[in-house]
Amino acid sequence: MSMDFSGTVSKGRKRKRGRSWTLLVPIYIFTLLFVFLPLIYMVYLSFMTKAEVWGFENRFTLENYKKILDPLYLRTFLNSLKLALISTLVNTAVGYPYGYFMAKLEKKKRDIMLLLVMIPFWTSELIRLNGWIIVFRSKGVLNLILEKAGLIDKPLKLLYNYQMVVFGMIYALLPFMILCVYSSVEKMDWKLVEAARDLGGNAAQAFLTVTLPMTMPGLLSGVVLTFIPSMGLFFVADLLGGNKIVLVGNVIQQQLTKGRNLPFAAALSVVLMILTSLFIAAYRRITKTDQLEGLI
Amino acid sequence: MKSKSRLPGIYLAVVTAISYVPIAVTIIYSFNHSKISSVWEGFSLEWYERLFSDADIFVSLRNSLILSVLVCAVSAVIGTLGALGVKRTNFRLNKVMAYFSSVPIMIPEIILGMVYLALFSFMNLPFGIVTLVIAHASFCIPYIYMMVSGRLFAMDPSIEEAARDLGASPFEVFRDITFPAILPGLLSGLLLSFAMSFDDVVISIFVTGPGFNTLPLKIYTRMKTGVTPEINALATLMILATTILILLSWKLNKTGDKAEEEK
Amino acid sequence: MNKRLIAAAVFAACVIGTTGAVTAEELPDISGTTLNLYTWDGMFPQEVLDGFTEKYGVKIQYSNFDYDEDMLARLETNGASEYDVVIADDYILKMVNDEGLSEELDKSKIPNYDNQNEAFMSLFYDPENKYNVVYGVGIPLIVYDPSLIDIEISSFEDLWDESLADNVAIIGNYRVIDGFTLKTLGESFNTEDVDKIREAGEKLVTLAPNIRAINDTNTQDLLLSGEVGAAFMYTSQVTLALRTNPELVAVYPSEGLGIGTMAQFIPKNAPNKEAAYAFINYLLEPEVAAKCFDSDEFGYYCTNKPAEEFISEENRQYVVLPDDITWESGEAIQTISDEANEAHMEVWAEFQAACGA
Repeated sequence: MSMDFSGTVSKGRKRKRGRSWTLLVPIYIFTLLFVFLPLIYMVYLSFMTKAEVWGFENRFTLENYKKILDPLYLRTFLNSLKLALISTLVNTAVGYPYGYFMAKLEKKKRDIMLLLVMIPFWTSELIRLNGWIIVFRSKGVLNLILEKAGLIDKPLKLLYNYQMVVFGMIYALLPFMILCVYSSVEKMDWKLVEAARDLGGNAAQAFLTVTLPMTMPGLLSGVVLTFIPSMGLFFVADLLGGNKIVLVGNVIQQQLTKGRNLPFAAALSVVLMILTSLFIAAYRRITKTDQLEGLI
Repeated sequence: MKSKSRLPGIYLAVVTAISYVPIAVTIIYSFNHSKISSVWEGFSLEWYERLFSDADIFVSLRNSLILSVLVCAVSAVIGTLGALGVKRTNFRLNKVMAYFSSVPIMIPEIILGMVYLALFSFMNLPFGIVTLVIAHASFCIPYIYMMVSGRLFAMDPSIEEAARDLGASPFEVFRDITFPAILPGLLSGLLLSFAMSFDDVVISIFVTGPGFNTLPLKIYTRMKTGVTPEINALATLMILATTILILLSWKLNKTGDKAEEEK
Repeated sequence: MNKRLIAAAVFAACVIGTTGAVTAEELPDISGTTLNLYTWDGMFPQEVLDGFTEKYGVKIQYSNFDYDEDMLARLETNGASEYDVVIADDYILKMVNDEGLSEELDKSKIPNYDNQNEAFMSLFYDPENKYNVVYGVGIPLIVYDPSLIDIEISSFEDLWDESLADNVAIIGNYRVIDGFTLKTLGESFNTEDVDKIREAGEKLVTLAPNIRAINDTNTQDLLLSGEVGAAFMYTSQVTLALRTNPELVAVYPSEGLGIGTMAQFIPKNAPNKEAAYAFINYLLEPEVAAKCFDSDEFGYYCTNKPAEEFISEENRQYVVLPDDITWESGEAIQTISDEANEAHMEVWAEFQAACGA
């Protein structure tokens, strides 16, 4: 009694409708024209030579990929990976119970909570990050409160470090995790949990054998949706990290602007994309979830 | 299985409260007299006055609203049809297509922006609303597709079959059974899409055309020059507007639900 | 007699000259058209833009870019055909001009051309004054809060002082930051000697313990809110900081200044060149230029000599370049070879990593 439930549905034979393929036309065309084509172009670019001023010359080279192996850039990849893993982990730890508890509220409260989760999400991320800066800086709100309370005599230096970047990432991406977990918990069949309890399992056992596997697709989407952007969100590192923490996203951005090195930026992006895809594949294998809330 | 513990409630309250801290600060500081958002210098409505005399901001707000609505409409159609199609067919290629369609959320926005800039000029598309809609749709379709398929795959196919066996036309099956089942997924996909499109800066910088500034572009470039209180005032108004909108739609929803129940 | 005749002739020439110019200026009927302006946000007060629309009946579409390079990318990709007037930084103008993306100016359509401050003409990006009209000048400076730090800063070298640990904010412009390190070693901002750049890189890494934040935007906020005791920042930020807190001290570092200019150009295939000329000429009017530099948000040095007298007393101290600041006191940050630029970027990446460690 586990995931197989939805698994069999997708794998099982379905009644074939003759014209169903027409539904696929728009998404195939769009994906081909506006995703696949640009992607091919990006991969192509990554093997070209940088032009003197801007753009590239049609000369094949592996230089861009060789350059990534430079410890300087390799280190950036490792840093980003580490940061993305940490923030995804914390996000799961904070977001899973949130989504879970939220889904178990009564309908009316649940709706209110859903709104409360969405509203910050609708406000510009830059503005919210700016809000955190006002809170955390030396003469900021938090230091003021701590000082008034007599807990500190000198303002704490809270901004512009690694922890702050992790915090910013989590804050920016938590709603994704919450919404994904929530949607899978919400449509869960609670009878199964009850059955597990009736069969003598305790709450923890019921959670591990029934709830967790059943909500795994939601959790997985949440992990993917928080992991992917945290590799590239350069402005969090910019604003809260004081530009001292360099992530792949920042390097790509720098290469495209100040470096005017389109091919190298493309190569960095290709490697980043492969890394992310590998990560998702590995994660799917480990958690044995094939159905990723529809993704892939 | 209702938990009697108060822990979940406390947990939800604390995390929610924390996530509202920067918003509260933004609102408070929009009334700050001081030009720099570092010191509190007394209450003032100055920034709201400034904001309302700033025609540029409102033009870009209008642009952003139009853009996000269009993006949502396009993505909803393509994403939902795609999800339905994938469920009803089993082409080998479907998996590959689904993977590629999710690529725009996997690569950094800035490179996507650059690549689109090159692609659109190659295709000779006029830069402006058209290119913006396409670029935004590329990262909104995956959300909608994902959320809708999630619902579709959790759906019991026997209900659709039963309805068909009872003589319902394909359209009736869709309207009465499939659509209500996927609606929550579609809605959350739309909410996400709207938020992502309405907040996008990086891709928009590259694919917008002359004279079509979106609100986040305006905010972003303005924050660079350091005029933040006005932006705080704007954010406050926007928070207010979204809250009212969401509350309204929620009210409507509730009366709708009641009507449904009475039926 | 002779003198009077000459005077009369000069007078007549002037009158004819001006009337001639006025008619030339108003000859092409541009009313009802649209001008596509492309530059950073906040470059002009709204009244200056409105004034142009009122005078010529031309609607202005003001689009913004974030980085000079974004602008270059667009111009390169779209054949410089979308925008009519662009304002950007000197080093990118060099590339724009070299790539043939800018229009050679017909000066007869810019009667106010000579209002430009000569000191900022014939610069490296446009030695023969063919393509650009200067708009403003920026000189990044060190500003410190004497109540927050124990030393008196007078040079770039002072930023390395141990007492400033974790107390300095700098802008994120790698050429300027690497450049001032080169300056402390007695080198030029523009050296193309990769060994020298790497040597500067080694020295720059030792600055890392003093760096609290590398912040390209709103750097002045860090200083004003007491987050740091000293900051090295752009002119507009210096102006904003000094205006808000007069206790702050601005320092012209003794090793020499990096002087940056912003200038206008008309893209090669601009859709509305006539309006572009009218706009450039309009911005050169002393009263109009004064309004731009008098605004509270702008804060760059004025490059329009006749405009200086129209700038309010209060703002003059910030936006009129002090007489003792000339090209003798600093140098422009020029475009350098790809190899040298690459070395700069690597040096910068190492520095950032050292700051984060």
